[in-house]
Amino acid sequence: MISRRLTLLGALAMATVSTLTLPALAEPVKLTIWGLDGDNGLIPALAKEFDDNNDDIVVEFRAIAFDELVNEALKAFATNQAPDIICLDNPDFALFSSRGAMLDITDRVAASSVIKTDLYYGGPLASAMWDGKLYGVPKATNTIALFYNKDLFAKAGIAEPPTTWDPLVDAARKLNDPASNVYGITWSARANEEGTFQFLPWIQMGGGSFKEVNTPGAVKALEVWKTMLDEKLGSQDVLSQGQWDSTGTFNAGNAAMAISGPWELGRMAADAKFDWGVALLPTETEGGPRSSAMGDFNWGIFAATQHPDESFRAIEYFVSQSERLFPEFSNIPPRGDIPLPSTGDARKDAALAVFQEQLKYAQPRGPHPEWQKISKAIYDAVQAAMTGQMSPKAALDQAQATIKGIVG
Amino acid sequence: MNRLVRSVRDGTGFDILLIGAALLFLIAFAGVPLVYNVLMSFQQVDMFNLGTFFRPLVGLSNYAAVVAQPEFWLVARNTLLFVVGSIGGQFVLGFGLALFFARDFPGAATIRGLFLVSWVMPGLVVGAIWGWILAGDFGVLNYMLRQLGIIEANIFWKSDPSFALWAVIIANIWLGLAFNMLLLSVGLHGIPRELYEAARVDGANAWQRFWHITLPVMRSTIGAVLSLGLIATLQQFDLFPAITEGGPANSSMVSQYWAWQASFKLYDFAKGATISVMMLVLVLLASVVYVRSTRHEVRG
Repeated sequence: MISRRLTLLGALAMATVSTLTLPALAEPVKLTIWGLDGDNGLIPALAKEFDDNNDDIVVEFRAIAFDELVNEALKAFATNQAPDIICLDNPDFALFSSRGAMLDITDRVAASSVIKTDLYYGGPLASAMWDGKLYGVPKATNTIALFYNKDLFAKAGIAEPPTTWDPLVDAARKLNDPASNVYGITWSARANEEGTFQFLPWIQMGGGSFKEVNTPGAVKALEVWKTMLDEKLGSQDVLSQGQWDSTGTFNAGNAAMAISGPWELGRMAADAKFDWGVALLPTETEGGPRSSAMGDFNWGIFAATQHPDESFRAIEYFVSQSERLFPEFSNIPPRGDIPLPSTGDARKDAALAVFQEQLKYAQPRGPHPEWQKISKAIYDAVQAAMTGQMSPKAALDQAQATIKGIVG
Repeated sequence: MNRLVRSVRDGTGFDILLIGAALLFLIAFAGVPLVYNVLMSFQQVDMFNLGTFFRPLVGLSNYAAVVAQPEFWLVARNTLLFVVGSIGGQFVLGFGLALFFARDFPGAATIRGLFLVSWVMPGLVVGAIWGWILAGDFGVLNYMLRQLGIIEANIFWKSDPSFALWAVIIANIWLGLAFNMLLLSVGLHGIPRELYEAARVDGANAWQRFWHITLPVMRSTIGAVLSLGLIATLQQFDLFPAITEGGPANSSMVSQYWAWQASFKLYDFAKGATISVMMLVLVLLASVVYVRSTRHEVRG
């Protein structure tokens, strides 16, 4: 009886040892990658290609909705079930990188022959950095600029799109035509991240930053926004609608100017029954500091990964495909060295050239681990001022007090 | 052994098994999360201890932080207004409709059934539809009001601080109307016809019959409808992201949306838990009223 049990145990032990060692050499490494669903299928396509091209690696991809991405990542991190690689929206990246949740890839990138940081735009790269170290690689980028309806401009006798704030308001006044349901301008001052995305560049052009939001220039910017709303040069609904709906009214010919991004180009080319163009965001004064918003996602590797080498190889592969980003997935590469091929539509090509110029001035939101709270302080101030509950100065002073409590 | 098996198959053992299963579910899916939530409101929560049960205790500082928020009293006022406005509208209109359909005209039952459509629809769908109806520049409601000559200029239901909360209340009244009407119809149906006939013989007019017969007999039903309405209204979440997102400038921010925003937008889980515990106390009060009013029903 005893001897039989011993042999059984022995066999069991042998079996365990052999499953642990021998086949492990042949077994492929499993990489889990989490990313956004949608986005023209870019992330799942690249993940699948990397899986197919590498026999020693199996990729398990999970698509997550935009609103769930950070919450899922937080939960997974807290319970030690984080994926190897994640693609996060750039303002959320610091939440993880600043607290050691992401792998420091500074040295790996320095040694890499594929990823060259000096090719990247400053804004996207800064969003992947924390405390001088690199924790991620920008996936793609986007920004905002001023769309304008050339037909309505000609009708109002305005030759060139406005380049500074005061002429912008003047142009909106001239273009505004309530009788024909045309607003002078449309944008988004919504009470969420979109509102901050649109207003932060104005703070920066006004000499401020996300840490200093009540500079005289920033106050002037909010006064400009309030003026445009008070004089009904834009719809009251800029307070509640996002950029997509807002630009929809521009495409329908119900607004003569719109502040929005390159993600609109496809829809605009199809929907707009008029001639349109894009100009750089107007600055406070002629030749004054430029700025713009910066969107899109960063690749990062969780520090807890068992396979840092394979994970980095995956990111190198994604970066190596940068030239396909625009033609195949309508994503703008986060670097200036890749020429965008012609789309076959002269207006779109001209617009893309302006956006690429604007990208040089695009600045990240943060990076800061508590970005969402800073962002809330900013959009709350915008809303409080535009609804007349506070003066622009008082609203931004209050936001500054809140932000000071967060950034110290 | 045999007796135990028999008891479990058909006897007190079976009853205990059923109750036990129900209790187990209640504890696992309502009790534990509730306790966890209350506990969390007294703890310091960050991304490193998110997955654990025991975290550093911070006493009442989460509560102090919530109350210290500049929008706290605005949110409290909005929540109260939302609850009173929604329940008031749902109840008065629901009662009116219930009385109307109690008059037994041809097709009354069918039309009453059709009202349930609003109750069956998911809140997000209702929110999206009302979002379009209430749109500022091109909304249906504004068009109708303009054509009827009631308004001169468009009302920006979703973007005007004086209207935003009412926009959600209107949608919520529509959403809860059918439920109120149905429960009140059932209550009306239970009133014996003889009572009304006797009153009529005694010369009571319609108002007197309503005030002295319908209302007193319906007391327990009304109590149940109002407290269920309070719970449903405090749980009403879907309409907010779909219509106003609490804006503009927090003018339509209510506590349930605020709690969600704190936890899942600002990643301040402790504050979100704290707000929901504050609401829990309110719902608990409503539940007590509900249980008491239904108990009265059983006895009477």
